[in-house]
Order: sequence, then structure tokens, then C-alpha cells
Amino acid sequence: MILYIFSIMLLIFLAPLMPSFMKMVKMYLLYKKPISIFQGYRDFSKLLSKEIIISKETSAITTIAPFLVLSPLLLTLFFLPPIVRGEYYVSFVDAFTITGLISLSTFFLMLIGLDSASSFGGLGSSREAFISALVEPAMILTLFSVSLMAKDLGIGQDGINLSLHFPSAHIASFIFAGISFFILLIAENGRIPVDNPETHLELTMVHEAMILDLSGFYLLLIESAGSVKFIIFASIFVSLFVPFGLNLPVILAILVFIAKLFILAIIVALLEVNIAKLRLFKVPNLLGIAIVFAFLSLITFYVLGA
Amino acid sequence: MFVFDNLSILFVFLIMLGVVPNLFYSFGYLPHIKRKVHYLVHYFGFIISMLGVVIAGNALVFLLFWELMSLTSWQLILTEIEDKSTIKAARFYFFMTHFGFVFLLLFFLIVTNGNLEIDFNSMKIIASNFAYPTLLFFFAVLGLLSKAGVVPMHVWLPYAHPAAPSPVSALMSGVMLKVAIYGLFRFLFDILSNWQLEWGVLILILGAISSLVGVLYALSEHDIKALLANHSIENIGIILLGFGMGMIFLSLKLPTLSAFAFMAALFHSFNHMSFKSLLFMGAGSVLHQTKTKNMEKYGGLIKAMPITAFTFLLASISISALPPTNGFLSEWMIFQSLLGSSSIDNISLKLAIPFSVFALALTGGLAIACFVKVFGITFLGLHRSTNAKHAHEVNTMMKIGMILMSLVVVSLMLFTPFYMKLFDGVTNQLLHVSIYNKIFPNIWSMHSISDNGGIVSPLILLAGLIVLTLSIYAIYKSLNIKHRVYHTWACGYNTSAKTQYSATGFAGPIRRFFTWLYNPDEHFEKEVIPGHKTKFKDASFSVHVRPLFERSLYQSSVKWTNKMSYYVYRLAHFEQSRYAAMIFNILLSVLFSYRIFVHEFSWATLALESVVMIISIKVLLIGDKK
Repeated sequence: MILYIFSIMLLIFLAPLMPSFMKMVKMYLLYKKPISIFQGYRDFSKLLSKEIIISKETSAITTIAPFLVLSPLLLTLFFLPPIVRGEYYVSFVDAFTITGLISLSTFFLMLIGLDSASSFGGLGSSREAFISALVEPAMILTLFSVSLMAKDLGIGQDGINLSLHFPSAHIASFIFAGISFFILLIAENGRIPVDNPETHLELTMVHEAMILDLSGFYLLLIESAGSVKFIIFASIFVSLFVPFGLNLPVILAILVFIAKLFILAIIVALLEVNIAKLRLFKVPNLLGIAIVFAFLSLITFYVLGA
Repeated sequence: MFVFDNLSILFVFLIMLGVVPNLFYSFGYLPHIKRKVHYLVHYFGFIISMLGVVIAGNALVFLLFWELMSLTSWQLILTEIEDKSTIKAARFYFFMTHFGFVFLLLFFLIVTNGNLEIDFNSMKIIASNFAYPTLLFFFAVLGLLSKAGVVPMHVWLPYAHPAAPSPVSALMSGVMLKVAIYGLFRFLFDILSNWQLEWGVLILILGAISSLVGVLYALSEHDIKALLANHSIENIGIILLGFGMGMIFLSLKLPTLSAFAFMAALFHSFNHMSFKSLLFMGAGSVLHQTKTKNMEKYGGLIKAMPITAFTFLLASISISALPPTNGFLSEWMIFQSLLGSSSIDNISLKLAIPFSVFALALTGGLAIACFVKVFGITFLGLHRSTNAKHAHEVNTMMKIGMILMSLVVVSLMLFTPFYMKLFDGVTNQLLHVSIYNKIFPNIWSMHSISDNGGIVSPLILLAGLIVLTLSIYAIYKSLNIKHRVYHTWACGYNTSAKTQYSATGFAGPIRRFFTWLYNPDEHFEKEVIPGHKTKFKDASFSVHVRPLFERSLYQSSVKWTNKMSYYVYRLAHFEQSRYAAMIFNILLSVLFSYRIFVHEFSWATLALESVVMIISIKVLLIGDKK
């Protein structure tokens, strides 16, 4: 139980590090002077002390919704696969519930975008609705396919099962599911090529457009939600698709887990440096690839058993 | 004459749950209806006839109440008769509902051997001796599902539901569609006994297609009530996904999985009744204040109508299947029963089911987009019309109606075990298996019945969300942060009602992605300032989606009927000499076909005689073109 709480605290602690780390890697690769890895914490403490400016056009939704954007994601942290062997974990929560909790958070985020009566907010919400509608089926199919290979519908239990019996007989469908989930990780977290987290240009932005009118503590909540979402996807990815290192001694297992997260972050950063952002109407093609890979994974598993 | 078994009682309960809040709402709505007596007579007649259908014990009573239900709802659509489109919608509804009635009548005439007063048990014996059970199944499906609004017989819903007064729309969409689902349970279990696997597959496919088509057309709609009507198609599709899985499992002799799937279908029927009634009530309140069904004229109503807005938000979250609401729980059950298929051996079924999972998941995603659009455009932002500006909260009776219905929604979420117990009673009666204890070993968590199935715990999810939200809120309060109110930042421009996103604009990316389905009719006009190419004074953009099914199935069948009747007309106005030619041709064809099909068959004579026939028709009958 102590390990369980510790691992959740660890994830919360790591959450603001990941975006700053990715930014650091990107700046280093672009020959810029890299920002500190602790930039996330600095922003956090700065936003904490700032006053909140509320638009006079907004309604009660703007004051309620930021809390409801963060809390479903924090709840999801409790249901993730374990980091070390022998730790307490919630074994039973399935793909549908986790996807639902993430969607609940996105639902309120989209409402915030529409609340301030600005054209930017609507633009962001509309695009986010479009993207997340296509992400949801791919995510459910992918996680379903993985849970078939791990022989349990609970995501937490899958992490254990996969690390005990790596599905080497089903490697083809396992890789297909992995590719699909990696695309989803990029799409849901608004990274290049789906969204660019650094611009404020109305042609390109999705996530930033929705939160243009938030400030202070509310912005802090949304920013934290963004980093928590990335850590959720990253830790599901490393626990299910790179299921190694769980059986090592406690300290080593935690270190291996953190190392895997940082390697994933480097991969995402490398991808971001090397490819350009897609046009909005090309994004469905990318998500279509994710859906097709998820289907392929299921069908290879069923028909070929491979 | 009447039956009061678990199934009937359950649906009586469903109807009462839907009707009681509706009564309050209806009495609040009454001052705005001109033909009060006409409305009240048909309103109560409608409720009584729905109750009559679900407790009917023989074919005659069933058909009587079924027809009464159709006629009273038809008259209720005609309550506000000033609108021209109302009459068109009512005519369409009248036609579609009687299209279904014909098949029900045929079904009953066959299974009762013409004696309409025998009970369901005797019908079962007659039906089991009938040589073509699939024919009976098709009659039942056409008869019942045209009432339930399943693709491709869904076309009347987006016309009929918006035309009726809002309390009636809530009843029709929330409750009447469930009466058709009741019929499906009754007919399939009590009359048709020897099922085939393909029947379940057909229902599953219809469900998957309906759910996708419904939600996609809902997204493109900006008439708020037509949008909700399209969502009814979607939700009936989801119910049929559960129902179809139940049928498939039962055909494969897996009774516990089957019972789970049927319970999921029943649960979703209850949930859809609750949130769809609530949504129609909310839409009715908005419509009543703003005097328009067009979403583009709403905006900012949450400030004036908080109770309507927050009950509507609850229903929106629930219909989007977001945890921990009741809509999520029933879709979770349907999802689990779809996943239960991994133990089936039949490979083609195994491949078909991921498609249904995909349909269900995509439906969920699109439903979220759709309800962000409805709630955001209607209640958030700035008002887009004068009526929306002067809107205020509706009267007390209507508020009570909405609050009662949201209590029904909340009760379905909190007291799931209680409702499950009721559904278990029904599946116990129909399938003779009781799985309540497997689903709810304790009242905290809900277990899936399949091997290695998942568990969901609505109460823990809800408690977790509340605790986390409150603790973040406590941190926020303890920090004592200053607030300042300022106007929206729009890069230096003013924010006005015209600069915010419209409903059409919101659905723009999705409409563009699904152009092949929508085939939209776009009109874009702008008045360019002289001397400039891109600057314009005024512009208008409108888009109208042409429904695929209506265009291809209904309008083209109308076109073909017109064409046929033209030829029949020409036939009836021939010159006399041509009648003789026609008789000669018919004689020739009869003789030839006797020779070909009965006497002996050879390709050579077939070819020769066809040529002779064609020449004789061309020369004698059609003649020269003038």
C-alpha cells in the first residue's frame, strides 16, 4: 500500500518534468540554449501566486470546469499498471473506463473553450472534438487487443501478466497495437504532428486555443492536467508495450521505469524535431492509421493467432 | 386478455418513470398550447395506450393499443397546426407507423391462425409449426423496428419528434420507442422460439449501423429537437447492439452471457428513457423561451436559466457515456458483452464483433463532440438573438418536471443494483438464469460475466471524483487568490455574439471529413468591398445536409413509383389496335415460358424465343418513336 501511494506520488512528481524535459531535448537539438528541466515547477509556482482574471462573458462553467478537467485524470493515476512487483494495484479497471475518464476531462475542457465567447475558444473546441472523436475508437480497440493478449480486461492486471508472460506467440498483433497506441499518445497529448504545444497561431493551435482566456490558478489546473495526461499515456505505454523490469528489486525497478519514461520522452522529442505539423484535415489520416492498426492487431490475433 | 409477468411489470415501471415527471412538465407547458382539450385528451390517451401495449395478453388487445398509440401520437404531433412543416411531418409519421402496422398484422395473422384472441402460449405452438420462421422474424422486425426508428426505417424520427410539443417529444422519444423494444422481447421470447444465429447477427448489424448513422446526422443538425431525435436513433442502435449480442449468445447456448447482454439492453433502455426525456424537456424550455428551434439563435442561456442548463448538462454527460453516469454504465455492460465474444469459435462472427466494438466506440466519441456542441452553443457564450437575451427561467411546474427527471437519472446511477435486480427478474423469467449475484457480489462494484471480464464501480468512481475535486477546491480556497473580471481577450478585437463559433462552424471539421455521407449543399454569399478581393462587408454561409437514406431509399422509391405509374397510365390509354397486340404478346410469352420453364429447357430455344418476343414487342406494342 505504501508502494502504491509512493508510485502515484512519483507519477505526480514526474508529470511536470516530462514536458520541460522534452522541450529541453528539442532546444538542445536545435542548437538553442536549453531550458532547465525544472521549468515545469517554476511555471507551477509562478501561476500559483498570480491573480485570476475571469472574462465577463463567461458563466459558472469557467469556474467549475478547470477542477473537473484535472480530477478525472488524477483519478486515472490510481488505476494504472504497477511499477514494481508486489505493489498494491487496482487490477480491474478496463479500457472503456480509462478512456471514459480521459474523455470526461476533455469534455469539460471543450466547454471552457466555448464559454468565453471568443472565436479562438470555439475554434479550439471544434478541432479538439474532431480529433478526440476519432481517437476514442482507436484507443478502445488497441487496449482491447492488448488485454486479449494479456488475457485480462483490467489494464492494471495486464501490466503484470505481460511482464510475466511476454506474448511472443502474438508478436505481430502486439507490435500493431504498439504502433497504434504510440500514435494515440501523440494525438491525445497534442504533440507535433497533430498539434503544436508551443505556438499561439490561430491556424495551427488546438489545445492552446481553448485555454486562451484562463489565467492564474485555473491555467495551472489545465497545465497540470496536460502533464498528468502525458504521464498517464506514457506509463500505460511503457507498462504494456515495454513490459520489462517489473520483477527487479524495488529500487532498480523504479529506476528502470523512470528510465523508460525518459527514453519515450526523447523519442517523442526526436519525432517533433524531425517532422512538420500536419494540416488539420490530414490528421484523420494519421488517426485512420491508428484505427487500422488497431483493427489489424485484433484481426491478426483472432484469425492468425499471431 | 392481459399479462402481468416480470417483463410487462418492468415496462410498466419504465413508462411510469418516464410519465410522472412528464406530467408536471406538461402541465407547466399547457398555457402555451392553444388547443388544450385536444392536447389533453390525446396526451392521456397516448399514455394509457402505451401502458395497454405492454400489458396486452393477446393479439387483438396488443394491436388495438398499438394502433391507438400511433393515432394519439399522430394527433399530438398535429397540436401546433399553424406550421406547414408540422402537417408534412404528421403525414410522414402516419405513413411510416402504418407501414409497420401492416407487418405486425401479418405477423399476428400467421401466428394466431386468424383467431386473434388466443394467448401467447398458443401462438408459440402455432409459430413453432410454421414452416418459415425467418419470415415471421422479418415481419416482427419490420413492424417493431420501424416504430423504434432503426436504420433504414428511421427517416420519420427527425421530422416527427421536433414537430410535436416538447413534453410529447420527450414521451415519444423516451418512452414510445421502448415500447417497440418491449415488443421485440415479447415476440422473440414468447412467440418465436427456435431462433437462428443469423437473426442475432442481423440485429447486431442493424444496431451498429443505426448508432453510427444516428450520431453522424445528429452532428450535422442545428435544429435542437431534430438533433435529439437523431440521437434517439443512435441510442436505439446501442440497445440493439446489446440485444443482438444476447440473441447471438443464446443461439450459441451461452445463457449467462446472453442474460448479461439482455440486461445491458434493458438497462440502456431505462437510461435512454431518463436522459432523453430530460434533454427534450430542456430543449423544450429553451424553445419556449427563445421561440425557435434553431441552435444558431441561442447562446448564453446558462445565466438566465441555470436549472435548465445544469439538468441539461447532467443529461449531456450521461448520454455521452462519460463515467460515472448511468449512460456510461450501460454502455460499459454492452461493451463487456461484446468483448465476451472472444470465447466464441465461429470465426466470421469473431471478425464481425470488433466492427461493432468500433461502432460503439466511435459513436461514443462523436456523441461527446455532439453534446459539447449542443451544450456549448445553447447555454454558453453570448446570446445570438434578442429572444435569447430576454430569456428567463421557465415556470415552477416545468422546473419540477426537469428536476424529477434528473433525479431519475441520478437514481439510475446510484441505485444500479436495485435496477439490476429488476432486470434479473426479467431475464430469469425469459432465460431461466439468474446472474444478479455474479454481477453484484457486493453492492459496490459491478462485475462482467465473461471470463477475465472487467469490473466497474460507479460508486467508487463517483466518490473518487468528488473527493479529488473537493480537495483541489480546498487547496484553491486555502490559497485565497484574488479575482479580477475583465473582458475576453480576442487579440485586440471586440468580442460579440457574431465573433463566436456557431453550431454549423463547430461541426465543420467533422462535416468535412464525412462529406461522402453528408453530401452537403453549401451556399456562401459575400458582399465584397469594391476595390478589395478579400475584405467583405457582409457574408452569409448556410449548409444543408441531404440525408442519404431519405434520398436513396425513400425519394428514389417515390420516383420509381411515379415512373411506373406513368407507364401504367400510358398502357391504359392505348389505341384499340394495341390492346390486341398486347394480348397477342402476352399469349406468346405464356406459351414460350411454359415451354422453357415447365416442358423442357435449352439455351438455344431460350435465346431464339427471347429474340422473337423482343421483336414482337418492339414492332407490335411500342411501335415507332414519335
